[in-house]
Amino acid sequence: MLTIKNLHAEIDNKSILKGVDLEIKPGEMHAIMGRNGSGKSTLSNVITGRDNYLITNGSIHLENESIVDWTPEKRSLEGIFMSFQYPVVIPGVNNTYFLKAALNAKRKYLGQKELDAAGFLKVIKEKLNELDMDPKFLQRPVNQGFSGGEKKRNEILQMLTLEPKLAILDETDSGLDIDALKIIAEGVNRYRNSKRSFLVITHYQRLLKYIQPDFIHVLIDGKIVKSGGKELALELEEKGYNWLDS
Amino acid sequence: MKVENFQSEFEKVLNKTNFSKKFKPIQEKAFHQFLDTGLPSKKWEDWRFTKLNKFSKTLYKVSETEHSQITDFNFSKHHISDVSTLTFFNGHYKKEFSDHIPEIEIIDGLIDSKHKEEISSPTDSPFELLNTAFMDSSFNIFTKKNQILEKPIRFLIVSSSEDKLMVSPKINIKLEENSELTLIEHHVGESSNFFINTSTHAQLLDNSKLRHIRIQSNSDSTINFSNIDVNQDQNSQYTFFQFASGPELSRLNIHTKLNGQGAECSLNGLSLSSSSQQLGAHIITNHFSPNCISKQNFKNILQDKSSGIFNGKTIVNIDAQKTDSKQSNKNLLLSKDAIMNSNPQLEIYADDVKCSHGSTTGSLDEEALFYLRSRGLSLDRARNLLIRGFATELFDIIKHESTKSFISDRFENWLKKNAS
Repeated sequence: MLTIKNLHAEIDNKSILKGVDLEIKPGEMHAIMGRNGSGKSTLSNVITGRDNYLITNGSIHLENESIVDWTPEKRSLEGIFMSFQYPVVIPGVNNTYFLKAALNAKRKYLGQKELDAAGFLKVIKEKLNELDMDPKFLQRPVNQGFSGGEKKRNEILQMLTLEPKLAILDETDSGLDIDALKIIAEGVNRYRNSKRSFLVITHYQRLLKYIQPDFIHVLIDGKIVKSGGKELALELEEKGYNWLDS
Repeated sequence: MKVENFQSEFEKVLNKTNFSKKFKPIQEKAFHQFLDTGLPSKKWEDWRFTKLNKFSKTLYKVSETEHSQITDFNFSKHHISDVSTLTFFNGHYKKEFSDHIPEIEIIDGLIDSKHKEEISSPTDSPFELLNTAFMDSSFNIFTKKNQILEKPIRFLIVSSSEDKLMVSPKINIKLEENSELTLIEHHVGESSNFFINTSTHAQLLDNSKLRHIRIQSNSDSTINFSNIDVNQDQNSQYTFFQFASGPELSRLNIHTKLNGQGAECSLNGLSLSSSSQQLGAHIITNHFSPNCISKQNFKNILQDKSSGIFNGKTIVNIDAQKTDSKQSNKNLLLSKDAIMNSNPQLEIYADDVKCSHGSTTGSLDEEALFYLRSRGLSLDRARNLLIRGFATELFDIIKHESTKSFISDRFENWLKKNAS
C-alpha cells in the first residue's frame, strides 16, 4: 500500500527526517511512536503533501505510484486520509456542505454519480450513529465551537465518509477523555479490514490499548531506530525512550 | 472638479423651469455654504485615504432633460422579483418605468410643491451641501401609523450616459409609530464617467422599523457617494446592509443617532473590490439615550490593487447608560497589492456600558486551505469555500428572499470573475 524509502525532509532549511524506511501492506496497522520533535508529525505532513515541507531525498509510493509530485487533493482523492492533530476551524462553512463537497469530489474522481442532498443525508446519518454524534454537528460551521473530543470525532466522521485506503491518525488520542477515546477506537476498529491500511502516530500507548497495531516503530531524531510488534508499546511505557537513544 | 467649476453648473440648476421655485433659496444657501467650506483635502482627518484625484480631474455637468431619454438600457439584468420599483434614469424620475405604490405616500418634492416638509442638509460636509444645492430629484416617503409594508420599495438608480454627468438624488423617509418598511437603493449603470451623490434622511418614530439595503454595482468608471442620516426614536430599529461591487470610487457615509430609549441600529456592509477600485465606509453611531443596542459589521474582500476604508466610530454620550455596542471590521486580502485602511473607534462618556470593537486584515488561512485540500477539494474550490465562509454570514441580515438571492448571485459572479 505505502512504501517509503530513505526519506529525507526538511522545513525552513532544518533537516527533520533523516532516512525513514517504512512499508505498510494492505490491511496492516502500523504505529509510529516517539517523543515530541522526533519527526512524527513531519512524516504525516509529508505523506499528505503539505507544501512547506521539502523532500530532499528518498521516495514515497502509494500502490507503486510515486506521490511526491501530487497535490494534497490528488493524494486525498487517491485514498490517503489524515485525521488532523489540530483540526482547523472554518468559520462560515457549514459542516454538511463541507462533507458533501468532499464526498462528491471523491465520487466524481472515481467516476461515480454525485450524491444529492437526500442521498448524502442517508450516508451521513449512519456514520453519525456509529460515532454517537448529534446530527446538530452537521449544521454548525466546520469545527467551530467544537470541544477537543468533538473535533476528533468529526475527523473520524470524515474518514468513515471518504473511505480512504490509507488512514493516518495523527495524535488522535490527544485531548480525548476515556469515553470519547473508546468511541473513536471502536469506529476505527470497525473500519479495519483486509484492504485498508493505517498509520497511527502517537505519543503514548494509551490509544494502542484500544486499537491494536500489527507493528510499532520508534522514531528518534528523524529515523526509525526500532521496530517490533504490539508488545513494544508496553516496553516503551515501562522504560521510556531513553534506552533507545544512541 | 474644482470648487470654481461648480458655479456655471449651478446657474443651470437655478434656471430649471420644471422644478418648484420654493427650494431655490435653500439650494442657493447650500451652494454658498459649499463655496465657503470648499472640497475636502487629504488634511481632513476623515478624508485622508479617499482618492479624490479622479473627481478633481473630471468636469461634471448637471443632467439635462435630454439625458432622461431611455434608448438602450437592459432593465431585465437588474430585475428583482417581488419589489415595487421607482426608476431614476440619469437623475430623472421615470414614471413610465416605475410601479404605482398606492399604499404609501410618495411625493416627488421638486415637482409637487404641496408638501411642507423641510429640506435640509443635516451636516455641513461638502458633499451633503452639494447634494442640496444640486438636488435633481427629491422623494419623500411617509408611512402611516401601524402600517406594515411587506413589499420592499426599490429605488433603481441608473447611470447611463457618455456625458460626464453629476446626479444628486435626495430621499426623505419618515416612519410613523409602529410602521415598517424595507427600502432598497439599487445603483446600476455602464456609463463611462458619472458622479452620483445621494443623500438619504430617515426619521424613525417610536417602535418603527426600517430595513435599508443598498446594492451598489455601478461601472468601474463611476463615483458614488452616499450620505445617510438617521434619527431614531424610542424602540425603533434601523437595519442597514450594503453590498458593493462597484464603482471605481465610493464613499458611504452613515450617521445614526439613537435618540430614544431602547432604539437599535445594525449597520452592515460587504465590499468587493478589484483592479484599482476604492470602496470606503465612514460610519458614525451616536448613542444619546439609555438601553440602546448598536452594531457595526463591515467586511471587505480586496483583489488586485484595490483599496478599502473602514472609518467606524461609536460614540456613547453621557446619558446613554446600559448601551450595548459592537463594532467589527474584517478584511480579506486576495492580493499582495491590495490595501485596507481600518480605523475602528470608540468614544465613551457613560460609565455603565458594554462596548466591544475589533479589526482584522489578512489573507486566506493557509492551514484551512490545506485542510480542505486534504479532503479532496481543489485549490480553487477550497479558496472559494473560504471566501464564501468569510462573507455569506452577512447575507442572513436580508430577510427578503428574492433580494437575498439576487445579492448572493452577484456575489457568486464576482467570485467567478475575481477569485479563481
